[in-house]
Amino acid sequence: MAVVAAGTMAVAACSGSGSGSASSPGHVSSAPGLAAVTPAGAKPVSSVAWATNRDVISLDPIFSAGYPEYTADSLMCESLLRQAPDGSLQPGLATVSNPSPTALVFTLRPGVRFWDGHPATSADVVYSLDRAADPKLAGYYSGRLDRIASVTATSPAQVTVKLSQPDYWLEGELSSMPGIIIEKSFAEKQGKNYGTPAGSIMCTGAYMLKSFTPGVGVVAVPNPHYWDPSVHPLVAQITLKGVPDITSLTAGLLTGAIQGDYGVGLPTLGQLKGSSAVRVDLGPGWSSDVLEIASFKGVLGNLNVRRALSMALNRQAIINSVYQGAAQLPRWISNPGTFGYGQSVFAQAYDSSPVLTQNIAEARKLVQQAGDTGKTITFGTTSQQAVVAGVTAAYQAAAQAIGLKVALRSVPAQNYIDFFVSPQFRAGVDAFPAADYGDYADPAALLAAFDLPGGSVNYDNFNDPAITAALEQARTTANPDQRAALVIKAEELTIQQLPWIPDVEPDTVLVLSKDLTGALSSTAYLFSPWADQLGGTG
Amino acid sequence: MLLASLLVASFVIFAALYLAPGTPLAALSGGQPLPPGSVQVLEQRYHLNESFLAQYWYWLDNALHGNLGISITLRENVSTLIASRIWTTAGLVLYASLIIVVLGIGLGIVSGLRPGRLDTGVLVVTAVSAAIPAFVAAIVLIMVFAVKLGWFPALGNGTGFLGNVKHFTLPAVALAAASLAIVARVTRASVRQESDREHVQTAVSRGIPAHRVIQRHILRNAAIPITTITGITIASLIAVAAVVEVAFSLNGIGAYLVQAAETKDIAVVQGISLLLVTAFVVVNLLADVICAVLDPRLALRDRPR
Repeated sequence: MAVVAAGTMAVAACSGSGSGSASSPGHVSSAPGLAAVTPAGAKPVSSVAWATNRDVISLDPIFSAGYPEYTADSLMCESLLRQAPDGSLQPGLATVSNPSPTALVFTLRPGVRFWDGHPATSADVVYSLDRAADPKLAGYYSGRLDRIASVTATSPAQVTVKLSQPDYWLEGELSSMPGIIIEKSFAEKQGKNYGTPAGSIMCTGAYMLKSFTPGVGVVAVPNPHYWDPSVHPLVAQITLKGVPDITSLTAGLLTGAIQGDYGVGLPTLGQLKGSSAVRVDLGPGWSSDVLEIASFKGVLGNLNVRRALSMALNRQAIINSVYQGAAQLPRWISNPGTFGYGQSVFAQAYDSSPVLTQNIAEARKLVQQAGDTGKTITFGTTSQQAVVAGVTAAYQAAAQAIGLKVALRSVPAQNYIDFFVSPQFRAGVDAFPAADYGDYADPAALLAAFDLPGGSVNYDNFNDPAITAALEQARTTANPDQRAALVIKAEELTIQQLPWIPDVEPDTVLVLSKDLTGALSSTAYLFSPWADQLGGTG
Repeated sequence: MLLASLLVASFVIFAALYLAPGTPLAALSGGQPLPPGSVQVLEQRYHLNESFLAQYWYWLDNALHGNLGISITLRENVSTLIASRIWTTAGLVLYASLIIVVLGIGLGIVSGLRPGRLDTGVLVVTAVSAAIPAFVAAIVLIMVFAVKLGWFPALGNGTGFLGNVKHFTLPAVALAAASLAIVARVTRASVRQESDREHVQTAVSRGIPAHRVIQRHILRNAAIPITTITGITIASLIAVAAVVEVAFSLNGIGAYLVQAAETKDIAVVQGISLLLVTAFVVVNLLADVICAVLDPRLALRDRPR
């Protein structure tokens, strides 16, 4: 996950049995006016410079860990299953069937080829999945594939995955980084160099790698042998360039030196919205801006204090001043953009849940009843990252308004991620703000990470038996609507128990030069080809 | 001398980075908590679970054999990574040095020799520009000359010589601004001081032509402090370049040093730091040599280095 700007941390995986999620497009998001796609490009374009928030550090999907790597991999590589712009799971390089609750059969589409013209076979699929699951390679996703018992090629175009127990989150995982199929013979030849600047990669996407030079960027060009004849890449060259400096990025977008960016938590959004050089599109988001609770041993161990803090938070101020309007008031932890299956079931339950609103008087009373007035709460924060600093300030005001004392543990921006990974670093901190997302559109992907015992960001052993039961049952439930109902139960219990406190639900922000169109505008861009329709405006 | 500086610097920097909070693995995974098995494999691969001295010795032993090690984040040789970026920084520093030498010394001489309005103007401008830190200068230059006027590109390196010059102009000006002011002021002061010396006054009263007085009596003597201050400011540019490179998204070693320090990519930090220390020592040495040439009385070995 990423710290500041956002993070990925799902342990879990997801969704649907049948790839046919009953999608009713109107229900993707409860926030009206958020479109998951922009109109397809109509004209060829010679080159596009696209910014990422830092340099890409690896193109190997098993070492892909943040926005830049996701953006690069999903531009050029494809997974077994594909996340549609609305988050529903669709066939990708393969279709999937479930002959039994503990078996998945992937059938490769006919005609799928790698960039070098070699056909993709079941051997490549077995190799890619084994590689992602192998803890010895130190990849980042082996833990999420822990229910896979075996992966076997059952015919040249068919792979059977046997599970130790049913896992309906696995298809979601296999629609993201661990599901990316790479060419076995090529990867074996590259060995440790695969995906590094010294080496190369071999994937199947409509854009293929031309060069990967640290400091300069990742350059992709159209793949002339793309297997899907309905896709015609329009951009002759896409350069992904790391631009960590906000002033530089903003100036680049305003002057056309940078033509596109997914602006996560961009403090200059207001300035860009008013510019004649770029257009800002807001789409459904999958990330949640939350207060991650690091310890229940301090004042936040008391549920009434957590509720009071949530109740005292001025969320509209965060939306206005921190997100420049590009976020929604929450009802649950999860962003409604994550309803990738069982949409109508999710939407109905979500719409009937109350919006979290501010009530300071009530909140003060809760703290008094708890006998915690005057106690100190310690927030982890960094003043060097606008979103974190802004949200911390809102929590500081909320805590003081309800009679708590506030201490800040402020660290340099680059150390903020250490709150997520290091218990020593978190010691003495009660909570810290972050934005988190799962790697596919399922609220359970995020919930599992902090609600479940052993979850990757369940820092202080939170365990609510009812929530755990609902999530575990969801993981083994085939029917999407029934699964959605179980996840809804977990969401409703989570918002009661508040192991994390939701702040706001950020939108996906797409900043695009006025003469370009066609990029995805939902968070699916992190995991699906986002530039296949990108081109000049008509 | 150089070797001793390098050894001490390498140890201090290694220790500082070792003691700084955080782990390179956090940056590697973007803060995503990794499966424990992966953490174990990665720690072993990069010797992260060994003692400080063992890690330092491992690095030093390799470095002495000409191997600067491997970047943890990019899994690529440090020397390759530095080599691909060094010309950006070299070009930027050279361009800025040129601006400092031509404009800084030029303005200083003119305003030193010609008291009056021009002199006052130079004083005011240099007072302001000496006070502006490079990153502020960068923001102002980007907003005015790239965004508002569109004369220069806002970021990136550009291609070809002319492209490079165009892309490097704003960064070089941002980098040069403060040092230029200091050099101009020191130049002005030494020219003024030399002009007031008795032998200069005598030469003027004896009717020696002004250009010869300036050339042989004023500039020749003023050249020594000017060279010293120019050498020091140019050497310091090498370090300040990082700030400018970040602001203009240039792929130089300065910006890379910042990035590597943030991600605790220790081999990269070590490699770049050693290069910077070497460059600093070499530039200062060059300034000393030039001074010695200008004034034979200053024997090279007597000067502090």
